[in-house]
Amino acid sequence: MTLLRGKKEVAGVEMRRRPLLRSREAALWIAPAALVILFIFGYSVITLLIQSFRYDGNWVGFDNFSIVITDPLFHIALKHNAILLITVPILVLIAFVLAITLFETRRGMRFFRSAVFLPYVLPIPVVAVIFGQIYQLHGALNVFLESIGLDSLAQDWLGDPKVALGTMSSVIIWKEVGFGVILMLAHIISLPNETYEAARIDGAGFWRTHISITRPAILNTIVFYGVIEAITMVSWVFNYVYVMSNGLGGPGNATMVSELYIYRSAFQDKAPELAATAAVFLFMATLLLMIAFFRIQRKSIAGTFNK
Amino acid sequence: MVRRYLSAFSAREVWEMKSKKVFVIGAFALALLLGACSSSSDKSTESTPTESAAAFPTEDLTLNISWWGEQEAPGATKWLEETIALYTKEHPNVTIKHVLQTTEGLVPAFEAAAAAQSGPDIQYFWGGIYAQQPGWDGNIVPVSDYIAEDELSHYINAKMEEGFQGKIWTAPWYVNPSFPLLVRKDILAANGLEVPTNWDQLMNVCDALSAKNITTIAGGVKDGWFGGWIYSILGAQSVQSQADVINAVVGNTKFTDPEHAGWWSKLEESKKHKCWNDDINSLELYQAQQRFVDGKAAMTITAGPDAPNFAKKAGGDEKVQIMAMPAWSDGPLAGKMGTTSQTLGITKWSKYPEVAADFLKFAHTSDRLNAWFAATGSMPADDRFDLTQVTSPSTKALFESAIQGAPYLENFIPAKLDTDAVFKNVQLVLKGTMTGPEAAADMQDQMERLRTSDRKLVDNFTAWAK
Amino acid sequence: MKINRGIRRSPLEATFRYLLLTFMAVTALVPGYIMFTASFKTQEQFLRAPFGLPLHLSFGGYKSAWTNNFPHWLLNSFLIVTGSVIATEVLAALAAWGFARFPFKGRETILGVMVSLMVVPPVVLLIPLFQLGVELSLISTLRLVVLIYVGLMLPFSIYMLTNFFKSIPESILESASIDGASSFKTFKSIVLPLSGAPLATLAVVNLLWAWNELLLALVFLQNNEKKTLMVGITGFQSRYSLDIPTVMAGMSIATLPLVIAYLFGQRFFIAGLTAGSTKGE
Repeated sequence: MTLLRGKKEVAGVEMRRRPLLRSREAALWIAPAALVILFIFGYSVITLLIQSFRYDGNWVGFDNFSIVITDPLFHIALKHNAILLITVPILVLIAFVLAITLFETRRGMRFFRSAVFLPYVLPIPVVAVIFGQIYQLHGALNVFLESIGLDSLAQDWLGDPKVALGTMSSVIIWKEVGFGVILMLAHIISLPNETYEAARIDGAGFWRTHISITRPAILNTIVFYGVIEAITMVSWVFNYVYVMSNGLGGPGNATMVSELYIYRSAFQDKAPELAATAAVFLFMATLLLMIAFFRIQRKSIAGTFNK
Repeated sequence: MVRRYLSAFSAREVWEMKSKKVFVIGAFALALLLGACSSSSDKSTESTPTESAAAFPTEDLTLNISWWGEQEAPGATKWLEETIALYTKEHPNVTIKHVLQTTEGLVPAFEAAAAAQSGPDIQYFWGGIYAQQPGWDGNIVPVSDYIAEDELSHYINAKMEEGFQGKIWTAPWYVNPSFPLLVRKDILAANGLEVPTNWDQLMNVCDALSAKNITTIAGGVKDGWFGGWIYSILGAQSVQSQADVINAVVGNTKFTDPEHAGWWSKLEESKKHKCWNDDINSLELYQAQQRFVDGKAAMTITAGPDAPNFAKKAGGDEKVQIMAMPAWSDGPLAGKMGTTSQTLGITKWSKYPEVAADFLKFAHTSDRLNAWFAATGSMPADDRFDLTQVTSPSTKALFESAIQGAPYLENFIPAKLDTDAVFKNVQLVLKGTMTGPEAAADMQDQMERLRTSDRKLVDNFTAWAK
Repeated sequence: MKINRGIRRSPLEATFRYLLLTFMAVTALVPGYIMFTASFKTQEQFLRAPFGLPLHLSFGGYKSAWTNNFPHWLLNSFLIVTGSVIATEVLAALAAWGFARFPFKGRETILGVMVSLMVVPPVVLLIPLFQLGVELSLISTLRLVVLIYVGLMLPFSIYMLTNFFKSIPESILESASIDGASSFKTFKSIVLPLSGAPLATLAVVNLLWAWNELLLALVFLQNNEKKTLMVGITGFQSRYSLDIPTVMAGMSIATLPLVIAYLFGQRFFIAGLTAGSTKGE
């Protein structure tokens, strides 16, 4: 991260003397990137808004909105996104436990750390295909469970609508947990030595140390990771679902999510206006997350600027 | 003389004004109208009127073909490349390129081309609704504008599936008997069973085999397609004709009415009798069919063009019988093999529709028909195809049954209803989480919704029904 | 990297730890193992023993995976990734310098909004951009995909580089401007050389994202010859779903560059991804 530590010079004095010139010059530097961003995001959102009020070239008011809002499939999609959101605390917890375990391990730590991070590097289509094989009714996982006598646990992981979403979540968790472990571990390692002095003197046990000291110490990282993963569950799960359910959101509708709903409306059902409307809904939902993210980052951004 | 000028004019004008959509549609419609008027007065001549009207273009040109089919009729690619080579030998100024699409990618790729109003000249379409919709959307020109009626009349299923208000949208290419049930006679015999001739007998076979932990019918519904197949081979048995289905689509009748709902209960029954492999929900279709070849299942259902191949791989006519799904009802279509033809159409933006049509006709010359059978072992969609060259009795029976077969129901419902109601509910019924009547009710609900969310649906289907 | 530790623990706890870590490692590595070993088996070998090592290496899978379009896909992925990563580096570095160097009114807000755009689901952008692409005849062109990728990668990139640039000691910058250097010269001759590590890290992070991206490539690259590796692989699966070794061979080829890069560049990967979060400590 910050590889050089800034000295607390009062450079701001010099800058304050020529604010006008500075902001013009700043604009020059920022403009190219801003143009691209404005185009990609701004154009899209505005076009979407306009499209959601039209059909076949004519204004139709809120027709599209009422169609989408009353679509049971859309409700199911949103519900599934919500369920995926609920898995975030589990994800964060697993990452935390793995991080503190790694922290306490000296021998082989690098190997284990590499291993836990490898899934994050793999492409999602690859991951989805492999797990598609492993999770079949007679696939590798059930074969393994039977071989150790746990065949009562064997399920139709992909084909049973009751567990399919859970199966999907497990793949997402498998892939995303490494990121959290690395984040948290890096933060724990950078904590000053005195943090654990008291615990060392008291001879506190594993859990007590980490629950009462580590957790509060790296809380902002934990929260940051949580927010990132919440964003993922709402906005970045399309790839998983598309590949693992052959684009159907099945079995039944068990793995339908809002991104897939939008994609199918636009590209398979040939109803781009409905897709646009659903996208507007999704965008408004992520707006909430955006504000949350913005607030969290604002503190840190202000922090870096006021050093 | 005048006709030649008009056709040439329309081709050039279309090309120049490609970006002005409305104008193009108008101009093209006019040209078509004029072209159609001129061709309809010339029915007695052998060659198509538009052929004599426009001289074959002499400039260098390229045709692009976007297609599908190797997946269900292996050998199709070879045939296509051969046909292209022969055609371009006769017409050296023509270059033809082809792209084989994936099953999931076929429709999206065409939609993208349609949105851009540029892309392939010849496009593959499954029959029925899949060929009608692009016509309704204005993305293809009817082949009947370029190919004479008497020629088209030989193309199997053209009128039933691609006919619309006197036009034929796309040209049938090969027949897909839909769908044959392949039965391992040897496995049945080894278990003291006979080939079932009706539904109840089939249920008995399921009981007997499942008691011995043998899969009766191998299937896979994870990727959805199989659901549509089952709908067609079970659902067709209780309707009078495809018109019944269209009636339910537009709302004159309901999908919960007995003639439309009965098959769901039969599907449920087949699950109760343990006819299917237990992992049908986590397998994809092609994976499951492999079980039949490997001798791990007594029966399976395959794509029509692929049936002879499967039969051969599993041991030939001695071991395998190809038949229609046993009848569960006494409707006029029960026990009959379904039939559909996969088709090729000409896109609206093609600069050389007459060349495209000429190529399509070339594909129906008798040498090419025979070559298709030789390459793929499946039946070309032309009743002039000489059946005497088919030596295998099961294959011959299959082909004959497909000439006057039952309509392929999946082609007469909206595509969205197919994926959202049929695929999905078949998955759930086979899993045991939905009953037959629930499935039918859900299909009806979805249809009602679809009528409001797809605002042109009712009009298009009503016009089609006429 | 000094690890804060030193609290004596019971051996039972050590056992628990290693058990957990081993379980985690196995879970993390097994899928990759299955993929890689399956690519060297024949279909029957795989079905019989999905977990076992291949008895003798069979290259049939690799042969049929390397179809006539595979090299195109590889090339397309390479071009798109190179193009978008370089463009993002340049634009982000310029913008980050603008944010870091010059305090102006609303700087925090604008930067905050820009960074928050990371939250927007790509699928939301998909439809309007696709339609625009159609109108401009840019579908199945690599340039449009590169542009969109750049747009999506910029928010994080700007954020990360701004953080870093702000941490460059003022004294170094001061001495440059006393010498009369314009801020562009300062940027070029002082800041950039110092930024080697974060720039490399950012490039690696973006490379990872762009290489693995599926949805946008799927929609914008319809033409078979223009597809990226990820899109090609996804279609692969349905066409060859019977032939598992071929699918796995294709997957292995698709994954190999990343795994190699990961093993050699672990530091950068990890440093880059933690850059955004640990706040100044």
